Amino acid sequence: MVTDIANMRLEKNREKNTIKSPYSQFGKINGKHPLQTSAPDSYILYKARKRKNGKVSFFHFDLAKEMGLISTNHANELNPDLEKQILETFSLVIINEYDIENKRKFAKEDIKDNFYMATRYLQLQHPDQVGNSSGDGRSIWNGTIESNGVTWDISSCGSGATKLSPATSIYKKFFKTGDPTISYGCGYAELDEGLGTVLFSEIFHRNRIPTERVLAIIEFPGELAVTVRAYPNLIRPSHLFLHLKQSNLKALDQITEYYIQRQSDNGSWKNVPKRRKDRLLYFLDKVTDAFATTAAKFEDEYIFCWMDWDGDNILMDGGIIDYGSIRQFGLFHHEYRYDDDDRYSTNITEQKAKSRYIIQNFIQAVDYLLTGEKKSIKTFQKHPNLKRFDEIFSDCKDQNLLYKLGFNLKETNYLYKNHRAQVKAFRKVFSYFEMAKSKKGIEKTADGIICNAIFCMRDVLRELPQLLSVRKKILEPAEFIEVTKSSYATKNDLIENSYRNQKTQEFQKKYLKLVKAVVAISKKDESKTLLEMATRSSIINKYDRVTGDSVTCIVEEVMKVKPRMKPSSIFDLSKELSNYQDLNPEKKETPSRPKHALMKYIHEVIKELREGI
Amino acid sequence: MKLVLFSGGFERENKKLNQALVELTGKNNPSITYIPASSYGAEIEFREFVKRFRKFNVTKFLHFAVDVPFDKVIYEEAFKSDAIFLSGGNTFYFLQNLRKKKLLKDLKKFVERGGVLAGLSAGAIIMTPSINTAGFPEFDCDENEDGVMDWKAMGLVDFEFFPHFINSKRYGDEMKSYTELSKYPLYASRDGSGIVIDGKDIKFIGEHYCFLKGACFKL
Repeated sequence: MVTDIANMRLEKNREKNTIKSPYSQFGKINGKHPLQTSAPDSYILYKARKRKNGKVSFFHFDLAKEMGLISTNHANELNPDLEKQILETFSLVIINEYDIENKRKFAKEDIKDNFYMATRYLQLQHPDQVGNSSGDGRSIWNGTIESNGVTWDISSCGSGATKLSPATSIYKKFFKTGDPTISYGCGYAELDEGLGTVLFSEIFHRNRIPTERVLAIIEFPGELAVTVRAYPNLIRPSHLFLHLKQSNLKALDQITEYYIQRQSDNGSWKNVPKRRKDRLLYFLDKVTDAFATTAAKFEDEYIFCWMDWDGDNILMDGGIIDYGSIRQFGLFHHEYRYDDDDRYSTNITEQKAKSRYIIQNFIQAVDYLLTGEKKSIKTFQKHPNLKRFDEIFSDCKDQNLLYKLGFNLKETNYLYKNHRAQVKAFRKVFSYFEMAKSKKGIEKTADGIICNAIFCMRDVLRELPQLLSVRKKILEPAEFIEVTKSSYATKNDLIENSYRNQKTQEFQKKYLKLVKAVVAISKKDESKTLLEMATRSSIINKYDRVTGDSVTCIVEEVMKVKPRMKPSSIFDLSKELSNYQDLNPEKKETPSRPKHALMKYIHEVIKELREGI
Repeated sequence: MKLVLFSGGFERENKKLNQALVELTGKNNPSITYIPASSYGAEIEFREFVKRFRKFNVTKFLHFAVDVPFDKVIYEEAFKSDAIFLSGGNTFYFLQNLRKKKLLKDLKKFVERGGVLAGLSAGAIIMTPSINTAGFPEFDCDENEDGVMDWKAMGLVDFEFFPHFINSKRYGDEMKSYTELSKYPLYASRDGSGIVIDGKDIKFIGEHYCFLKGACFKL
C-alpha cells in the first residue's frame, strides 16, 4: 500500500516536472507532407524503419536555428540528447518493394508510424522518358517544418532504393537497399557526396546563389551516409513536367497550384492573383524570370549545372539541387563536358538554351492548364515569355558584368539605364577574351572533355583598375595579355597577332568609356572611381576562388582527418570556408589567416586549382 | 633611406605614422603598393588599407600578393611605386615567400632608389637584420609552421624590432634575456607606435622601450 502511494506520488511528480523537450520540433518531421493531400499522383509512399549504427557527422546549427528546430541560443555543440533526436528523426531506411516481396522481417518498434514519400518526377536518363518510373531513387521526404512564416521542405538522400531509381527501370526488378551489384540505384549515398554538398552549398548560399542546404549528415559504416537537405520549396520543374508529358491535367493542376500556394504562403511571391488565369500567368512570369536570371548567373559565375529539358537538376526558382554534377570553373571553360558513360553532358553555354527550353515547357504546361488542350511544344516557339526570357537574360548579363567590373549598385543602374549600347559593346569585347580557347583543342580530363580557356578574366578585372589608376594610360597589348593569360595558355596560344592586339586596346578603351560615363554624373574624378572599382573588384574577382576541383580535393582531405573531427568541427569548417569565399565587396568581416592545418591546406589547394573546373 | 616601422593597432592610433609615410614620399598623391603577408583574405585588408590612406588624398594603390604567382606587369609597377607597405601577419610565412620569389633584393634596391618602405608588425620585422623577434616569447610568437630555417631578414636597419609590446615584467624579462647575447639593440613598441627613418634621422612616435645587453630604457 505504502509502495503504491509512493509510486503514485512519483508518477505525479514526474508529470509535474515534465517540461517540453528543447528538441520537440523534431517530432513534427514525421513523414507527413502537404503534397500528400494536395497532389496524390506526385509520389509513392514507403514505410520506414530505423537505420542503426549511424552517428551524426555534421549538423548545421545555424540552419537548424533558422528552421526553428533548436533555440537561437543553443550552443553550436552536439549533445547526446540532440544527437539522439537527429538520429531518431533522420536515421531511416525505407521498407521497399524488395523487402516486401522477400518478406523481410523487421522489429515492430523500429518501424516508424507514418509513411514517407518518394516523389515522382521526369528524368531524361530513364528509358521511357515520360516519367512512369522515375523520381526520387534514393531519397525520401521527411516532412516540413514551419518557422517565422516560412515552411521548409526536408528530404533525405541515401535512405534506401525506391522503385523510381534508374536501376529498377532498366533491369525491371526491385533491388535490395545496399545491393552491392549496382552502385547508382542501390539506394545508399556516400559520405563524401554529403560533405561536398555541405561545403559547396554553403559557399554558394553565402554568395546569394539559391541552393539546397544540408541540415545534417548521418554517417554509417563503409563511408555511407544519409544527407538531410532543406529548402523552403524542394519542387523541381520535373515534378510538373512529369504530368505534362503524361497529359495528366488534373495532377499537373494540383502540383502547380500546390507550388504557387507554397511560394505565396512563404512570402517568396507577393500579391499572387486569385483568379486562376491570372494566377497561372503570374506563375509563368515568375518561373521565366527565375530561369533567365539563373541561366545568366550560372554563365557569369562559371557554374556548371547539367540542365536539360526534363528540369531535373534544378529547383523551380533556379536553386541548385543535387551537387553530383555541379562545378564552378575558374575560367570560362565553355567546352567542358562531363562524360556520363553513355553520353556527354551539356556545356556551360548550352545551359541558356536548356533553361529557355524549360520555360517553353512551362509555357506548354500553363497553356494546357488554361485550355485543357495539350498543344505541341513547337507551337510556343515564339511565345512572349520566351522573348521575356531573352530580355531578362541579356539584362542580367549586362548587370552581372557591370557588377564584376566593380561598379556599385547606383553606378550599375545608371550605366544599365543610360549607356546600354556601351555596356553591350564592352560585353562583346569582354566575351572575345573570355571565350578564347587553346589551340591544343579538345583534351580528356579525369571525368570528361575540355578545350582549355586561355584567359583569366577575373585577373584582368581585378588588376586593370589598379593599373589604370596608377599609370593613367592603357596597357600595351603585350602587357594586357601578360595580365590576362591563364596558366592553361601555351606559347602557341599567346603568339601576338594584330587582331588580338587591337582587341586589347578596344577592351581598355571601352572599359574607360564606362568609367568616364560614371565620372560625368558623379562627384568623383576618374582616379577615385577607378580606385573604388579596384577595391570592389579585387573582392568580387578574388584570386583564390573555389572551383569544383578544389572542393573535390578538400573533401578528400576532410575524409582523411574526419575521424579526429567532431560534428561541430565540420560545421565550423564550413562556416570558415564560406566566410573566406564570401565575395561580397561590402562584407565587414576580415577573415584572419587560418590557424589550423586543414584550413591552411584548403587555402593552398584553392590557390593551386583556381583555374580548373 | 626612408623607412616606417609600424607596431600595429587601430587606424586612429596610427594616424601620425600614416601621415609620416605619405610625407616621406614628398608627393601629394603618391602611389602605394600593398604587399600582404598572405593572400588569405587579403583583398578585404587591401580595401581597409585603401580607406586608411584615402584620408590623405592618396588615390593610387596596387595590391601585390607574393604567396601566389604574379604577372610581370603588376610586379614591375609595384616597384615603380613611391611607397611599398609590407603588411602584418605570420612573419615566417611572409619572409619565406618574399625569399622564394626573390623579392628581398628588389625591396632593398627599391629603398636604395629612394622609395619609402613601410612595414607593420611582421612587415616591420622583415626590414631588420633578422626575424628573431617573431620567434619569442613563447607566449606571444608566430608559429613557424613552414619550418623556416634561415631567419636572416633584410637588414635595412641596425636594430631589432618587437611590435605589439606590452610593458610588463613578463615581456620585459624576455626582452632583457634575449638582448643579453644579441648584437643589436631591440626597440619594443606598443601598438599605435612606430619608428620613422629618413636618412640619418630617426624619429620614435608613440611609446617605445630600448633593450640593450639585458638592460631596458624607455625612449
